[in-house]
Amino acid sequence: MELKDKIKLSQNVAVFSGIFCVTVALLLLLNFWQMSKSDPTESKVIEALVERLKQEPNNEELKAEIRNFDLLARKAYFNSQWQVKTGAYLLLFGAIVLALALRYYYSLKSKIEVPDTQHENEIASRILAQKGIIIVGALVLVLGLGASFATVNHLNYYDAENSVAQAVPTPEEEGIEVIEVGENVEEADTKSEQEQALQEPTPEQSQPVETSAEKEVDSGVNENEEKVVKKTEPKPSTAATSNNFFAEIRKNYNSFRGPLAQGISYSKNIPTEWDGTAGTNVVWKSPIPKHGFNSPVIWGDKIFIAGADASSREIYCYSRADGKLLWTAKADNIQGSPSSMPRVTPDTGLSASTLTTDGKRVYAIFATGDVVAFDMNGNRVWAKNLGVPENHYGHSSSLITWTNKLFVQFDTNRGGKVIALEAATGNTAWETVRQSKISWASPVLAEVDGKYQLVLTADPIVAGYDVETGKELWSVDCMMGEVGPSVAYSDGIVVAANEYARMVAIDIKTGETLWEDDMYLPEASSPVAYNGLLFIATSYGVIVCYDLKTGEEYWEDDTGSAIYSSPTIADGKMYLMDNDGVMRIYECSKEMKKISENELGETAGTTPAYMDGYIYIRGENNLYCIGK
Amino acid sequence: MKKLKYILYTFAFLLLTVSVYAQQQRFPKPEFDSGYTQPSTITPEPRALQLEYFDVLILAIFLAVASYLIIKKRSRRGILWLSVLALLYFGFYRNGCICSIGAIQNVTLSFFDATYAVSITALLFFVLPLIVTLFYGRTFCAGVCPLGAIQDLVIIKPLSLPKWLNKTLGLIPYVYLSLAVLFAATGTDFIICRYDPFIGIFRMDAKALMIILGVAMLLMGMFIGRPYCRFLCPYGVLLSWMSRFSKRHLTITPSECIQCKLCSKSCPFDAIDYPTNEKEVVKSGLGPKRFITYALIIPLWIAAGVFVGVKSHTFLSKANPDVYLAELLISQPEVKNDPDNIDVQTFLASGKSMETLVEEAEVIQDKFYTGSMIAGGFLGLVIGMTLLNTVVFRKRQDYEPHKGNCYSCGRCMDYCPVEK
Repeated sequence: MELKDKIKLSQNVAVFSGIFCVTVALLLLLNFWQMSKSDPTESKVIEALVERLKQEPNNEELKAEIRNFDLLARKAYFNSQWQVKTGAYLLLFGAIVLALALRYYYSLKSKIEVPDTQHENEIASRILAQKGIIIVGALVLVLGLGASFATVNHLNYYDAENSVAQAVPTPEEEGIEVIEVGENVEEADTKSEQEQALQEPTPEQSQPVETSAEKEVDSGVNENEEKVVKKTEPKPSTAATSNNFFAEIRKNYNSFRGPLAQGISYSKNIPTEWDGTAGTNVVWKSPIPKHGFNSPVIWGDKIFIAGADASSREIYCYSRADGKLLWTAKADNIQGSPSSMPRVTPDTGLSASTLTTDGKRVYAIFATGDVVAFDMNGNRVWAKNLGVPENHYGHSSSLITWTNKLFVQFDTNRGGKVIALEAATGNTAWETVRQSKISWASPVLAEVDGKYQLVLTADPIVAGYDVETGKELWSVDCMMGEVGPSVAYSDGIVVAANEYARMVAIDIKTGETLWEDDMYLPEASSPVAYNGLLFIATSYGVIVCYDLKTGEEYWEDDTGSAIYSSPTIADGKMYLMDNDGVMRIYECSKEMKKISENELGETAGTTPAYMDGYIYIRGENNLYCIGK
Repeated sequence: MKKLKYILYTFAFLLLTVSVYAQQQRFPKPEFDSGYTQPSTITPEPRALQLEYFDVLILAIFLAVASYLIIKKRSRRGILWLSVLALLYFGFYRNGCICSIGAIQNVTLSFFDATYAVSITALLFFVLPLIVTLFYGRTFCAGVCPLGAIQDLVIIKPLSLPKWLNKTLGLIPYVYLSLAVLFAATGTDFIICRYDPFIGIFRMDAKALMIILGVAMLLMGMFIGRPYCRFLCPYGVLLSWMSRFSKRHLTITPSECIQCKLCSKSCPFDAIDYPTNEKEVVKSGLGPKRFITYALIIPLWIAAGVFVGVKSHTFLSKANPDVYLAELLISQPEVKNDPDNIDVQTFLASGKSMETLVEEAEVIQDKFYTGSMIAGGFLGLVIGMTLLNTVVFRKRQDYEPHKGNCYSCGRCMDYCPVEK
């Protein structure tokens, strides 16, 4: 083929492919125009038929007609889509042929150009380039600067107060006086930390509010509160305050697993026999409005539990005497609280954390990160949101209070921290970032040489923190996994354990690991140490007793039931509830001696509370008082 | 006839734009109960690891072949066909992803986000072309990069741009690189991928604006060789740095230059440097004095860049989705009631509090403060250095490819009458 013919051929191919491209493109345009004109989703016919269907919802013939129309519209739509897709590929193919033909045509026709006799003036070009660079450089900088001046930083205008105000109070809360959080904050700012630690309740807090619930409180409770007020009057030293506070809480059952959260009740004459179904030794039984896995806590004559669902989070106060619901308080309208509930799993829920109380106020935390304090009559004292804990099951770590501070173990997927809030105001007293991952365990108080410390366990550290300053006193890198059980503490020995990890006994003074074991490990149930013995319960129902100092196993009892509840020592015996609501009672001895097995007649995964000869059990739906 | 062909070609591309845009419509779900259950959304599986390694192998082979064809074989035809293969594999088959240009962002993010681990594939796609360029020049651009290939194939009648325009527009890739690194480092966005003009063509599916941008680039590319590579490509900045140090770069002539000037117009990218006219240089006054002046004002450019960077950090941070959302909710709280605003509804459903969102946005803004400051300083340095470069004269006797700007396409070699 001669050059002339090649040129001719490539020219013809280019022309034909060009015409082909234009034709396909025009068809595509037509198709596009058609599609945009007759939008099947806005078909007037279907709309009219749907309207008719609303009036005749049971007209099967009409339904079939609509379906047929809808199907036709869909077929037409997908047919057009296929056409567009195919057309686009044809166009691409045509464009490629056109490009190749044109390239070939020009390469055949190309001639080596005669070199310019005069080049572009290098110097003039460089001078121009300098100007250009300066202009473009300056333009970029000026544009950046201009943009900065034209920009408003809306984050500076974030008004946290306002965002709370948007939540409209519900009519249900009319009976409860909401104390302004802002006022408390201001008030707290004017006082020193020392003053806050020793302060008496503010007039607002101590002044009883006339509510219908209030009238039902018997005089005994008021006396009890007065006693508390007297006892918290200014004290000369922190140690003395601690001693007095401990003397107070051991008379009560103020937190998860009792005073200091060590799993030991100091009450006597706790019953060992009952039958929930038959009503034997059941003093009273009271329904619980909203679900929660938190356990009861007690101060004086009042029992506190919490419940939550997607619509609200509530704190309930029951009378110890007759199980009557004295008051219900809502944790709502809290600054920074999320507008919708975080995702939690059903076995944790929105209210898994147990409340705590110091006799002046009762404190609660929910999976939303809302921490709220109410006085003993259900009036809100303060409330704040710590940020929604990033927790794939739901926040479950319980609260604990100690000498005017409220402690929150806030181990989330974003890292671990422990926060101390001023009990009276909710202001942060201190906050310590922990080198830990997420956990579900709760803080335990331990006394070492007259000083109290918080002992926390999580992946990977078991550590102690000064209750006054938050300083990390010691830390042992020994734990792993999703840690649920809190530590056991007795005689200077901390025992931390977790399923699929290990059980470790640590000397709290030296940080030395005394022994380790991984034969039986708890998943949710926390171990308890008492009188040189250590008790644990696995989630598959094996109860094991060890020597606290050596780790030697004394006995085990396979109950065959799931156990999430934690063993508690009461009246010198070990009480342990399984998830089916069966409570097993053992003697605290080196040999297994089961005292009794009692059925509640209702499932229960919580840990009961023990006080003054009674056991208070939170079942799935009811709160029980067991007594002789 | 000639004109008609140009018109046809242009028209065809424009129509292609519209037709691909038409595919963006989606059919909604039926609005009444038909008893049909919607299948759950399936997330596509990531590409199998072996196949990812295969991509790396292909890249390595292409790089080796491109370097061999340019340095050893001196074959323009070979490199042309290699670039077609690269366009088919990395462009149309792999849909333009993974690519070395975008890998800048993966590597950057891995430096600044401890939770993000860069895949070995992305790392190799970033590093391999740089290493090869360090030895053999930008052979990656010549025969391996699909973005370069698609532009190279549509060059029909390239026009030569004046040097000053080339230099001035040459600043844009530095701006783009700075922004891409800033946005990647702050976890804001991968803008190189988002605004890749040719992805829509490779995938036959993209937003209308991106298709228009891609087609416009190709149309422009018919007359201005490789506009994206020259005036936008952020990876080109790094390749250009590497290529300047390459020992075995492409040469126009296989032997000694005979000063025939035949190659002087051969480069569609204006990447051939002419011999220096020493007399003119001496006469021009662009000597040491101006060099010292420009050198001394570099710190001023840097300071100005840092100042502007710091000032504009708020503006830039608005590109971050968290900052954007927080600002939207603060400035227009009523959007919470807009059920069609997916971002807002997703946020509300997440259970995250407004306070947390604002806190997170503030943390991101802080990152932008530092990042914009560094980016601004870098841009100031680039402007200062580019300016300084205009008064630096290198003694040249022959026609030589500019090592930094040359894409090693090999067109100039065909024009050289000298044989080995």
